[in-house]
Amino acid sequence: MATVVSVQSLRKRYRRRDPWAVDGVTFELEGGQAFGLLGPNGAGKSTVVKMIAGLLRPDSGSISLFGSDPGNPAARAELGFAPEDPDFPKFLRAPEVLDYFASLLGLDDDERKRRIPETLAFAGLESERRQVRQFSKGMKQRLGIAQAILGRPKLLILDEPTADLDPIGRRDVRALIERLKESGVAILLNSHLLSEVERVCDNVAILARGRVLKEGTMADVVPEGSNLEDVFVQLIEPNQPERDHLPSFISERP
Amino acid sequence: MNGALAVSRYTLLELSRRRILLVFFIIGALGIVALGVGLKVLYQVASSNPNNFGGASNVDAATFNRFLELLFVSYLFQALSVFALLIAFGIGMTAIYHDLESGAAVSIFSKPVSRFAFTIGKLAAAVAGLLVIAGVLAVEARLIMFLFGGGLESALTGELLAVVANAIVVMLIVLSLSTWMNNILAAIVAFIYYNVVTGVISTIHMLADGGVIGNNVVKNVFDVLYWLVPHQLVSSAIRDLAQAEIQLSGGAENNQALASIPSPSGAGDIAWWVFTVFVFAGLVYYAVRRRQV
Repeated sequence: MATVVSVQSLRKRYRRRDPWAVDGVTFELEGGQAFGLLGPNGAGKSTVVKMIAGLLRPDSGSISLFGSDPGNPAARAELGFAPEDPDFPKFLRAPEVLDYFASLLGLDDDERKRRIPETLAFAGLESERRQVRQFSKGMKQRLGIAQAILGRPKLLILDEPTADLDPIGRRDVRALIERLKESGVAILLNSHLLSEVERVCDNVAILARGRVLKEGTMADVVPEGSNLEDVFVQLIEPNQPERDHLPSFISERP
Repeated sequence: MNGALAVSRYTLLELSRRRILLVFFIIGALGIVALGVGLKVLYQVASSNPNNFGGASNVDAATFNRFLELLFVSYLFQALSVFALLIAFGIGMTAIYHDLESGAAVSIFSKPVSRFAFTIGKLAAAVAGLLVIAGVLAVEARLIMFLFGGGLESALTGELLAVVANAIVVMLIVLSLSTWMNNILAAIVAFIYYNVVTGVISTIHMLADGGVIGNNVVKNVFDVLYWLVPHQLVSSAIRDLAQAEIQLSGGAENNQALASIPSPSGAGDIAWWVFTVFVFAGLVYYAVRRRQV
């Protein structure tokens, strides 16, 4: 399978005084592969995927997306990106949002008429008539996934895709990932739900403070008889600042 | 180009659903109707009493009607100017800012659309929105002018062009500032820059040019400053209106009051306006391009 995305020695910080949000991250992803990017809050996972989607510029290092720089719009033609906490023009309705994004993807009228109702049905938003500003977080998340798959991408980036979804929605996203993988689509999944990652990903990288602590196939990273959560905790805890777990007032009697 | 069209189309749809623009438009439309009809009713009431015209009064009904028309057009110009500015601020504060701040830009910019196409689409929608709203208000104003018999239609057209041209500059300033800062702050800064700083510079420059300020240093400083700020375009309408009012009151054609009214903008001012529009549109693009979402 051809390399879909290649990330080399990526570094990024938001301001000069800040620590590196991403510090020397390197990995590759091929078609039909699902890659899980794991890490605690603030590890730099979303920064990495935003750089791959051409939304942020790296300070150093390189990214190749389908052989081009992600800043080049043509390189993003086969990319689907479902961001964490997605939002949309708030006075539009779900079909209008998808029609807007279908136009940006260059889909013709026939394709739009075919794909939009099916995508809305997949997202469970086919009968939703309200404007986006009246949507719940879960509905926005479903619309976020819908717009990401609308262009039939060859690389689908899902940044915390199930954070605001109910169990049915999570199951649908899992089924979607498995179906897309089978059809040769590369998946880059950012998630805190380790069981989910363990179930669908072939490769994982565990990040903390912008650095990759461990990377490899699921079998390499998770030894026999262990699970991803144990590995994650063992790797992350020594890299976390020491802290008392509970505030003292919690155990005080009223 | 398809990307710019899509951005433009859906930005216009969004603008049409924003209550603030609808409220400005409704207030403007109702205000113009109330002004025109109110003055016409005043005329009807006055003319229904035969003692009001002729006899002791040296004002006939036709003159009174003409006076009311001039009064209406004078208020109308002010109303158009105020509402065009309000709408320019309303569009400038929302057209790009909300996409960038809400996170909608994350989904939009991950699609195969360039930041240039996005900017072009947004600017086209903002200008089209302003033109449509100002245009509808102007058509309404033109229809109301029929109540008074007409004669100042060309003045309305000229003034509308100047008002819209000035509003476009204000809108571009707000748009470019709102990509860097909070949109309310952007509107305040734009107001101070365009209405206060630019106004003071233009006035002092005009006074210095007219010989009221004799100090050469001040004159030279304000000559330079004048070419660093946008110039408000002025139509001949204000002068035409003043001239009509003077004629009506039987004053001399070369009345001194006319001299204090700014003369209509010339080719230099129009060229400067075009340059200003390109500069601020360029700033909007620069800000959108630099923006990391």
